[in-house]
Amino acid sequence: MRMRFYNNPVLSSELKIRMRGWKTALGIISYLGVMVFIAFLYYITFIQSSLDWNRSVNANQQAGISIYTMLAVLQFILILLVTPAQTAGSISSEREKQTLDLLLCTQLSSFGIIIGKLLSSMSHMLLLIVSSLPLFSIIFLFGGVTPGDMIMLFSFYIITAIAVGSIGIFFSTIFKRTVTATVVTYLTMFALGLISIILSAYLMNIYYLHGGSASYVPFPLYINPAAGLANILQNQISGGSGGILGLGTGYQTSFWIYNSITMLVIAGLLVLISIIRINPVNRLFSWKKNS
Amino acid sequence: MLVIENLVKKYGSFTAVDKLSLRLDTGDIYGFVGPNGAGKTTTMRIVATLMRATSGTVKVAGIDVAEDPMAVRGKLGYMPDFFGVYDNLKVHEYLDFYGSCYGLSVNERKKRTDELLELVELSDKKDSYVDALSRGMKQRLCLARSLMHNPELLILDEPASGMDPRARIEMKGILKALGSMGKTILISSHILPELAELCTSIGVIEKGRMVYSGRVDDLMSRLTGKTLIRIRVLSDAEKAVRLLREQPRIENITGEANMLELEYTGNEEEMSGLLRLLVTEGIPVVSFTKAEGNIEKVFMEVTKGEDEVLQ
Repeated sequence: MRMRFYNNPVLSSELKIRMRGWKTALGIISYLGVMVFIAFLYYITFIQSSLDWNRSVNANQQAGISIYTMLAVLQFILILLVTPAQTAGSISSEREKQTLDLLLCTQLSSFGIIIGKLLSSMSHMLLLIVSSLPLFSIIFLFGGVTPGDMIMLFSFYIITAIAVGSIGIFFSTIFKRTVTATVVTYLTMFALGLISIILSAYLMNIYYLHGGSASYVPFPLYINPAAGLANILQNQISGGSGGILGLGTGYQTSFWIYNSITMLVIAGLLVLISIIRINPVNRLFSWKKNS
Repeated sequence: MLVIENLVKKYGSFTAVDKLSLRLDTGDIYGFVGPNGAGKTTTMRIVATLMRATSGTVKVAGIDVAEDPMAVRGKLGYMPDFFGVYDNLKVHEYLDFYGSCYGLSVNERKKRTDELLELVELSDKKDSYVDALSRGMKQRLCLARSLMHNPELLILDEPASGMDPRARIEMKGILKALGSMGKTILISSHILPELAELCTSIGVIEKGRMVYSGRVDDLMSRLTGKTLIRIRVLSDAEKAVRLLREQPRIENITGEANMLELEYTGNEEEMSGLLRLLVTEGIPVVSFTKAEGNIEKVFMEVTKGEDEVLQ
């Protein structure tokens, strides 16, 4: 069946179901509530006092950058926490509700089902990210951050959400129960994040022990979105100087681009495996254009 | 319309379906009967392209399900033995969603939704939420869903399971209406009488093997060698009993008032001779019919676990 992104039945239906209840509105309110609350606490604890004794333009910019960094990291953590909950149940919940077979015996391809599920979760994340824009725009009152910086950061958020979302969908096709899929997704993310940093530190040690002197980024860091975020913030605040995540990687300006590409490639692979996994006759390209 | 040849499905060393063959022509209503775990659902899931067979071929309208499952899905409607619902979806939205999964246009979906809700008598529930419907209504809605793309073949896995008697009768009426529309139907049940009056022919499956395939009447006669005949007369019941007792191939005449039942071992030609005799002797016969008999007993007989294939 010919399917386009904008007329994917799974996407349309999911959006309709998600938006109909009060849960989505409550989710956005909670999400923004957490961000506003933490940002407010941060402001009155660290920023206000410093501005009280130094009201120069430079001090305002420093305050803006400081709030921006805090909000950027906070939003990043929230994305990592919320996305798996959105995607890890996408296929397993269909199994639990006994609707997966009904869907699979239609002319909608496995590709259409997985992409529809991923896009609906992503559109929800996008809604959360976009709804946080007014909060971020407060930073412009202080200065020190450009709209270009913000666009770069938000683009990276979307890529991170796609990568984490694809991990959730992948485990959702493997485990029958949503709870299991969600827990395993969180554990995998945590393990990958931690292992990539430990392994990177070890590889860097070996590199410098063997006389390496040029800037070097060990490959495990490319799969860690936290490293990408750290690089973006370093670029925007200090022009890329300083090591990524405190590791001695040297001066890096475009690492976040390679990091994003790596995450997108991994996301693509996981989506591909998910498509193959839910196809009941295990033929990826068996779908044909019938209508 | 549906051809299954030497179908085998194995799960490790366990054989769920064992060299099963079946042929359904257009307009056939075929009852698939067997005890729980006999292999009915596995066979139906393979036909519905939800499972790959270990070996053998299955063709729907000439298309091999393993070769082109997407094309096959356009030809068949599948109703499983469970009913999955989406929260927060209304009845018409539910059908519209599945219509869009089959690539129907908005106008086609609206038209089909109205037609099918009328067929399954749920027009007044169009704007109700699906999860608020009764079980019987959900089953009917599920049937409507499987018909959304106007398939030629319907695969119905225990469509009346868990329904109350009234809902069963309503479902049976809808299936008869579908049969009269010329749909080919493969319907499963573990209750033979449920299928007997609905189907043109039946297949009895046990331990993955087809132990009988053919007409219900033939199955009964073949197993017992006897046909149960039910005769209703206006009067002279005693005279009719006397007359029947004098005839060969008649056993066990029973009855109350003007309704008689007897077991007959003759063929259909001899049976018509028996009716002629009663009429010429002046017995006022109101009806003379072949009765179903104790169909459960026959089912137990067929599925007692023998390896011998009857056909």
